Amino acid sequence: MLNVANADRSEQADHAALITLVETIEALSATRSIEDVAAVVRSAARRISGADGVCFVLRDGDKCWYLDEDAIGPMWKGQRFPLTACISGWAMLNGQTVVIPDIYVDDRIPHDAYRPTFVKSLVMTPVRLKDPIAAIGAYWAMGQTPSPDTVLKLETMARATAAAIENANLYASLTQALDRRTFLLRELDHRVKNTLASVQSIARQTLRNAPSPADFAESFESRLMGLSRAHELLTRQGWDRTDLRDILETALEPFGGLADPRFTARGPAVTLSAETAVGMHMTLHELMVNAAKHGALTTASGQVGVIWRIETLQDGIPSLVLEWVERGGPPVFVPKRRGFGTRLLEHGLARDLGGEAALTYQPKGLTYSLRVPLSERVADGMKVA
Amino acid sequence: MSAPRIMIVEDEALVALMVEDLLTDIGCQISGSFGAVDEALAYLKNAAVPPPALDGAVLDVNIGGTMVFPVAERLRAAGIPFVFATGYGALPRKGFEDVTVLNKPINPLLLEDAVKGFCKAA
Repeated sequence: MLNVANADRSEQADHAALITLVETIEALSATRSIEDVAAVVRSAARRISGADGVCFVLRDGDKCWYLDEDAIGPMWKGQRFPLTACISGWAMLNGQTVVIPDIYVDDRIPHDAYRPTFVKSLVMTPVRLKDPIAAIGAYWAMGQTPSPDTVLKLETMARATAAAIENANLYASLTQALDRRTFLLRELDHRVKNTLASVQSIARQTLRNAPSPADFAESFESRLMGLSRAHELLTRQGWDRTDLRDILETALEPFGGLADPRFTARGPAVTLSAETAVGMHMTLHELMVNAAKHGALTTASGQVGVIWRIETLQDGIPSLVLEWVERGGPPVFVPKRRGFGTRLLEHGLARDLGGEAALTYQPKGLTYSLRVPLSERVADGMKVA
Repeated sequence: MSAPRIMIVEDEALVALMVEDLLTDIGCQISGSFGAVDEALAYLKNAAVPPPALDGAVLDVNIGGTMVFPVAERLRAAGIPFVFATGYGALPRKGFEDVTVLNKPINPLLLEDAVKGFCKAA
């Protein structure tokens, strides 16, 4: 009679544990963060295993991090141990559950860490068998061999926990991706408006200096196409830093590029931030158009040398010095009117970067020189990682 | 009133050139055009003693990664009116709800209105 009653009670307890296990799996499937996962494991693992204490351990590099626990006495909550010096580390490194009926006869246990605790026997099961990311431990105050049924329940919970952690990580990366998308859209809006403001400026200034509608259309379109090519180059670079030589190559492209023997280009690696690259492109574009229309590139024997270097003057501030020198073209005169191109060359990049620029009109050819201090916007390409 | 004296803080030279032209076209005098916040602050340190050498200012908001607000605060303390001109939808900071914000690209008529506002305030 008594045995039948005990069997009934044990069956009821089994049944309750099974219901708890199912509820726990449901709860785990709804978690969105590692903290939530830890909280569910912590609150359910004792009821499912019937243990006197449980803990949830995360792998943190080469350490085991005892994140949370629920037990009749204190264990190791918040502490970190090397993977190789504790049983949760063993379970994770070997990818298998370990059952220890008497911890003081097992060498894998760091006995000193257990002496202050109630623990006599334990089960430790890894979370995710392939490349474990965590472990769940169940502990008993009485030396005993936990039943295969208990071990199976803990392992089932560990499998649900693995899926929940994967979900939490996926959810975190998805949230991050959505935030990034929102950020990028706002950034795009900002960039587009600034670009439109640049186009507005180009349009007004071109109009101001254009003798006829046909001249306006030609100059405006040439500048617009230049801006477009600069954007293409930047998109190829992921709107990251761009090398000065690539910007020069892009600016010269509509006129035959550096392959044209009339060009000489020489200088060290210098990288520019995206916005500065647009400004540099526009500067070189203006010089190029001017050379092709009025300067050295109007003759077959003309020469254009673009030379740049990094130079440190007595003020100790390293600067980029760029020179555009034309020779062999028709005699050069100082222009009567200061057009948009001239103003942009003199006040554009130099103003943006806190440097100076000068256009020199010598009869033998035009010279443009730019000196800007190195900064995050204009950097020595050999020193940028 | 004689030509209103206007300061410009704008990091993009191309846009600065246009704002300078727009203002000059409606009879303003450009008292200073700066591409960096610290340059503008240094200028105000000398210029913002009474009587104010400025009648107003047009400020871009993000100046090469630095926010223009220290300049705005200095102008406000000196009683000099100003407007913002920005590509951002909204100002990234509170405390300037009473200041006109011109969106980029800049509508020249609204810029002209802003300058008229400066002259009334003076």
